[in-house]
Amino acid sequence: MKNTIKVERAKKNWTQEDLAGKIGISRQSINSIETGKFIPSTVLALKMAKVFGANVESVFQLEKQD
Amino acid sequence: MEQFKKTVYRNSIIFALIHGATYLPAVWLLKHHVFEQSVSIIIAIVPIITFAIFIFKLIKAFSVMDEVKQRVQLEAVVIGFSLTVMLMMVLFLLNLCDISNPGWFGYGYLVCYCWLFYFVGWFISKKKYGV
Repeated sequence: MKNTIKVERAKKNWTQEDLAGKIGISRQSINSIETGKFIPSTVLALKMAKVFGANVESVFQLEKQD
Repeated sequence: MEQFKKTVYRNSIIFALIHGATYLPAVWLLKHHVFEQSVSIIIAIVPIITFAIFIFKLIKAFSVMDEVKQRVQLEAVVIGFSLTVMLMMVLFLLNLCDISNPGWFGYGYLVCYCWLFYFVGWFISKKKYGV
């Protein structure tokens, strides 16, 4: 699964720390999700999409192998 | 919420230290001094009680972690548990072959190996998820 968290953050001019604070997880966890090492739960994905003001499908997309 | 999480994490660390501070002296006392059996049992039970409280606090700390950290802990425990079971199976099978070395693989050492395996699992999992 790929994601556009980095792009969305850049649009809002947020650091990983800023995003982490807004959804209540650690900065390291944001980094883990952003780099695709960890696939977040539906709740966390929805929270992220909400703070970005975007649809969850535009933040997280399935890849061919998924 | 952040303050609450910090307090919960701190509590688990404090109780880990309290357990260590009761376990090591208890081992030393029981190893180097001869007490009445009832006194020995009381000395032996104290670190078990502190360990139980520590585990309770640790589980509480797990419950307030975010999902990435919970996954790291879960995998660390699974790896630690698997390696411990593997070691115990090897020791049991070697014991059946009349090969045993209580000097290195006594109960006390198994506790240390168990913690060592948990930290090995933690290290592997942390590396895997980059946290």
